Amino acid sequence: MSDKPLLATDRAALILQLVPYLIGKGEVSLAEAADEFDVSEAQMRGMVEKLTVIGLPGDGGFWQMANDLFDIDWDLLDEHGVISITNTVGLERTPRLTAREAAALLAGLQLAATLPGVGDSGLVQGLLAKLARGASGVPAEVIVAPEAVDDVRVAVAAALRDGVAVSFTYKAPDAPVTTRTVDPVKVHIASGQWYLQGWCHLRQAMRTFHLDRVSDVRPTDIPIAHSGEHVPDLFEPSETDAVADLRIRAAVVPLLADYLDRSTVTGSGEVRTAQIRVADERSLKRVAARHAGDVEVQGPESARRAVAAWAEAGLDQYR
Amino acid sequence: MSRVATESTRIAPEERLVNLVVALLATDQGLTKDTILTSVSGYREQSEAGAGKDALEKMFERDKENLRGLGVPIETIGDFADPDDLREARYRVPTSEYELPVDIDFTPAELAVLNLAGGVWSESSMSSQARSGLRKIRALGNEVDAPIIGYSPRINLREPAFAPLQRAIEQAREVEFDYLKAGDDTPGRRRVRPLALLEYEGRWHVYGFDRDQDAERTFLLSRIASSVQVTKRGFDPSLRDGAGDKALSGLHAVAARQQALLEVAPGTEAALRLSRRASDAEQGIRVPYVDVHVFADELASYGPEVRVVQPDELREQVIRRLERTLAAHTDGGPR
Repeated sequence: MSDKPLLATDRAALILQLVPYLIGKGEVSLAEAADEFDVSEAQMRGMVEKLTVIGLPGDGGFWQMANDLFDIDWDLLDEHGVISITNTVGLERTPRLTAREAAALLAGLQLAATLPGVGDSGLVQGLLAKLARGASGVPAEVIVAPEAVDDVRVAVAAALRDGVAVSFTYKAPDAPVTTRTVDPVKVHIASGQWYLQGWCHLRQAMRTFHLDRVSDVRPTDIPIAHSGEHVPDLFEPSETDAVADLRIRAAVVPLLADYLDRSTVTGSGEVRTAQIRVADERSLKRVAARHAGDVEVQGPESARRAVAAWAEAGLDQYR
Repeated sequence: MSRVATESTRIAPEERLVNLVVALLATDQGLTKDTILTSVSGYREQSEAGAGKDALEKMFERDKENLRGLGVPIETIGDFADPDDLREARYRVPTSEYELPVDIDFTPAELAVLNLAGGVWSESSMSSQARSGLRKIRALGNEVDAPIIGYSPRINLREPAFAPLQRAIEQAREVEFDYLKAGDDTPGRRRVRPLALLEYEGRWHVYGFDRDQDAERTFLLSRIASSVQVTKRGFDPSLRDGAGDKALSGLHAVAARQQALLEVAPGTEAALRLSRRASDAEQGIRVPYVDVHVFADELASYGPEVRVVQPDELREQVIRRLERTLAAHTDGGPR
């Protein structure tokens, strides 16, 4: 829901979608309809009121008759905040998808199809065909290349479906190998990387595990017990995080969006500064080396020295 | 009871647009422009108030374009005697092309998958497009299965070049942009017929026909160094057929051709992340890559955990990155 102003064309598009929606619903509260259409309740009320002055053309210069216009149950709206359409003059069936709407859903489906247990059926193929046929124009081809789904991913997905804990070997960067037992809660897939979020029996807290660092997955028969706990966002910082000061070349700022999500980037011009929170200070050397010279760790001093040592040790291999 | 607009009410443009759609859907033989301007509410009031014919006609042309942009298929039926004479042209919206075909319905399981698929776009224009498409499908009122929980798939889309390229593909029009080719220091101008957009290993690419190279090429969106200019030069839309598959196999072919020979320290982050994509070699591992700079960025992040044996270009790029990192973090360097 947002209060963003919409352009007249956007508002027209919403009204075209509103009529079939209201017919399908019969009666629907302003709040529910506003939520469905990503608008505020006031905007939804405005659209519904507008609808009642829309209708068929007047004949030969005469005013439109009441039944040539859309109409709603005004008492229901005014007294209970409920929308119910009482007269329609067209637009009853939902419009075709635009080429761009179809493209957005088609690409999303390609990603969904790679998820174990979702794409295994012929269902996705059928959907691809329906969307293509239901579009008003030829969508631009937007391809999401499938990533290999290995045994680790399949095993984690199965444990998630079965509601049991998994145990596995985990090797975090710069940390010793540990064996974890985890109640799986959610699998995040972002930019082709898979992460498991779950309740870690070892740490007694919600943790996120990059699946590339997971091996020897074994399902257990321990039913999951902590799925109700608060699940933080994927890159949400925590209280125990280290704080670091960075200087970042402006062009690189968008590439660091995941790190910078909850920090303020200040300054203007070629170089910006940001204070970020990271779960492990030792990860900064990897970020800095990846963006060679475009990301500079200014502090803490220990992290800055670690970056220099990291690059130095890397270079030593070539000397 | 209905609250009808009085003559003094200013008609909002969205009312006029929707009135026009309703009118054009209700007619089989089509309406002439004159009929529309004098009878459809929104135009009629302005006609009656004495608005100039030119201004009204311009408004009608704009409205038609905007509605077509929304996917409303406005058809023009010309004068049979003289097809180029649009004075007697009639306009209509064929119901069958406006509405979602009646035989398209979605099963509860399909809707659950679509809901998941529609949620993958994090904050981008594609996200609102997906939501709008889903809304249309949900308005069919089909039953839906319980949501698929446990997965949160996301596609990141931050490249400003995406939207104009998508538009150019839809309209089959050539584009121009400055492109920083791997290994070059200054960007060069490219003229491209864009055919498909492709996310590969977390990065967006556009596949198209390069007019200057006279061959198909794949470009990384993050290397486009200017805004994308959509030109008026059109191309044969059939060039787009099967472009997605060609683009994908093209990138696979590049990856198969470009293999780096690497030595990795066992048990490290580099070993874990690279071995998933690697094949064993006599000395170390072989890892395919598509873009030398993108791969060098990744390898530099591993510092001493990986050593590039071959090729030389990749090796030099990694060394350059490590040197720059060192320089930026050494006393006397930037602070």
